[in-house]
Amino acid sequence: MVTFWTLAPIMVLAALGVVLARKAVHSALLLAVVMISLAITYASQGAPFLFAVQIIVYTGAIMMLFLFVLMLVGVDASDSLVETIKGQRMMALVVGLTFGVLVVLVVGQGVVGVSVGLGEANANGNVYGLAALMFTKYVLAIEFTAALLITAAVGAMVLAHRERLVPRRSQREESARRLQEYAETGRHPGPLPTPGVYARHNAVDTPALLPDGSPSELSVSRVLRARGSVREGFEGDVGQTLRQLDPDDPTSTIGGSTPRRGGSGRTEES
Amino acid sequence: MIHPLLVSASAPPPIDSPTIQYGDLSPLLVVAAVALLGVMVEAFAPRALRFTIQTALAIGGIVVALAATVWVGLGLDRASGDVLARGRVVAEGAVAVDGPSVFMWGLVLLFALVSMLLFAERRLEGGLSAFTGQAAAPPGSAMEREAVEHRIEHTEVFPLAMFALVGMMLFPAANDLLTMFVALEVLSLPLYLLCGLARRRRLLSQESAMKYFLLGAFSSAFFAYGIALVYGFAGGFGLGDIDQAVSNRIDGQNLLLAGIALMAVGVMFKVGAVPFHAWTPDVYQGAPTAVTAFMAAGTKVAAFGAMLRLFFVAFGGASWDWRPMFWVVAILTMVVGAVAAVTQSDVKRMLAYSSIAHAGFILVGVTGAFVGTRDASVTSVSSVLFYLTVYGFSTIGAFAIVTIVRDASGETTQLSRWAGLGRESPLVAGAFALFMLAFAGIPLTSGFIGKWAVFSAAWSGGAWPLVVVAVLASVVAASFYVRVIVTMFFTEPTGEGPSVAVPSMATTAVIVVAVVVTVLLGVVPGPVLDLAQSAGAFVR
Repeated sequence: MVTFWTLAPIMVLAALGVVLARKAVHSALLLAVVMISLAITYASQGAPFLFAVQIIVYTGAIMMLFLFVLMLVGVDASDSLVETIKGQRMMALVVGLTFGVLVVLVVGQGVVGVSVGLGEANANGNVYGLAALMFTKYVLAIEFTAALLITAAVGAMVLAHRERLVPRRSQREESARRLQEYAETGRHPGPLPTPGVYARHNAVDTPALLPDGSPSELSVSRVLRARGSVREGFEGDVGQTLRQLDPDDPTSTIGGSTPRRGGSGRTEES
Repeated sequence: MIHPLLVSASAPPPIDSPTIQYGDLSPLLVVAAVALLGVMVEAFAPRALRFTIQTALAIGGIVVALAATVWVGLGLDRASGDVLARGRVVAEGAVAVDGPSVFMWGLVLLFALVSMLLFAERRLEGGLSAFTGQAAAPPGSAMEREAVEHRIEHTEVFPLAMFALVGMMLFPAANDLLTMFVALEVLSLPLYLLCGLARRRRLLSQESAMKYFLLGAFSSAFFAYGIALVYGFAGGFGLGDIDQAVSNRIDGQNLLLAGIALMAVGVMFKVGAVPFHAWTPDVYQGAPTAVTAFMAAGTKVAAFGAMLRLFFVAFGGASWDWRPMFWVVAILTMVVGAVAAVTQSDVKRMLAYSSIAHAGFILVGVTGAFVGTRDASVTSVSSVLFYLTVYGFSTIGAFAIVTIVRDASGETTQLSRWAGLGRESPLVAGAFALFMLAFAGIPLTSGFIGKWAVFSAAWSGGAWPLVVVAVLASVVAASFYVRVIVTMFFTEPTGEGPSVAVPSMATTAVIVVAVVVTVLLGVVPGPVLDLAQSAGAFVR
């Protein structure tokens, strides 16, 4: 009883947090709290096997998969909270609360019937009792769960697996193609220039400077450029410092904001 | 230290191995085996042969399972009891192989057989199936075009459909709540997947799969919570145990009522009853039409079968408690389905709302809860079985016709573009008109007999006001079915007008079978009605 009343509030709060948290990672961690609390409840109710399974399978395996997926999607990814249907959140809240109150009232007043008791179910040990049910009365249900697992595996393959339809080019063919292209179009066969590395900025969003002081457009990823998150020039810091030192010096506008293409003549990789 | 519950003082007694009547379960096991073989074929057969092998395997497997079903059906013994019932509970109480179960097995197998012919149709898409070649390729991407160029196909749809079929067979036959829940999931999961695999209008298809999956998972959760509450009330999962608890106990009714309500949400979602119908139009529209046909016919049979068994066997003693709820849901379903269908401009959405209205008509039969008397009057169970038969065949036929009315961008589902179809192809338009008349319940079509059966069962069960509402709703529904016929035959085509593609033998066969069944069951319904009647009541 003590276990229940200690864990129940934690579980309810954590479960609310799962729904209300803005960031998916927080939801996932709170879900882990719910699952572990549930496992402890199982243990205190005399179901050690379920306790172990809950920890190993849910908290151990499934939660880790959740977190892996979240890491792949991006930890910072958060859902859009814009309502597409007007007043939907309010309605959901009202209906959800009504349902919750109804269930609490109904179940709270419920009288649980004559229970046989755990003593009898666990007479030969908890695992034995479970096995006796799984391999006799519910053996068919357990067997048909196999269909479910196979469907899930096949479905994951169908939805996520891309078949390679054209053969992969080898390293040798690739370099031959690059030099061929260089011969025909003059496009540089080597790698793109690296981004700029400076005392204040050594990030991928900072373009490298060409010998004449203009930033090289090729040195930053085109994704960053498309997003518009490339640092334009150095007006902000270097120029400011120079101006402070000598306000009349014309070179203080070093690295103007007109980016020039790199000298290699290499065009943008598509 | 080892937990004291993990060890016992002496060696525990050996667990007796369960007795499973493999013969009685053979139709289920055949279909499951075919599904597994299908997965093996995907792994090992050369790509060029896969489509042929999968089609042959699926159709052959279904035919074998049908033969097994007939064999099981002929061997059913009459069960003792007041009302006519055949069969017994097998596999340690997990599955009830009785008249209604075997009838529904035969029914879903027949529906699956004709649906597989639709799945196998390859002439309409220039030698490719109606399913996307590469589901992982984003819609409209270069990768997708590459997949079409290389003419690859997802032949996994056949084993997935077989898995769904296993679920559809197990769901109405399950005799305990755990098996019923597993069957519900086995039936649903492959369907969620199949919905997202359309070759054309892929974003719509993927959206429909996502919606169906999320809402379906939600309804399954309701069902599972209901199971937990009912278990708390009855102390057992078996439908027979619950029936005994319902009849004997007077305290703890709260748990029972909450459990009944939550489980009703689960099954009513599957049949598409209002207010749990919101998924139906989107999913019917977005899913590949062959899948829609399979789903519309098969899922309805399975879900209504499970609903009947659940509410007649397990909660039969509490029918005074659940019947008012069914009254409300049945009326809402008929009215919303019929009225919303009138405003639709898309054929597939119109058929979806029509399926909602039909779910309402079937619910009328269920609500009657008429178990029959000594003389041969139509019972609720047999009338629902008959209605499901006629509705399923007409629906599959109607969706088969939707697949062949096409333009350059695929199926033409805009109702306005169907204008003048009667001139373009009188045969196709005539067949579609026949299905519309059957849906409307015009005499001499199967729909009339079906409606008459469920209404008479409900009348005998004392639900006559419901029958009056149902008749009025049928009149409203008839108006939009007639509107479709008027559009096809008596409206000038706009622009080029619709064109009817020439399908392969498979789709033609499906349409012919559906037409023949619709007419035959309208003119001579006797044999099938007798078969449904002789299926008798559920055993427990």
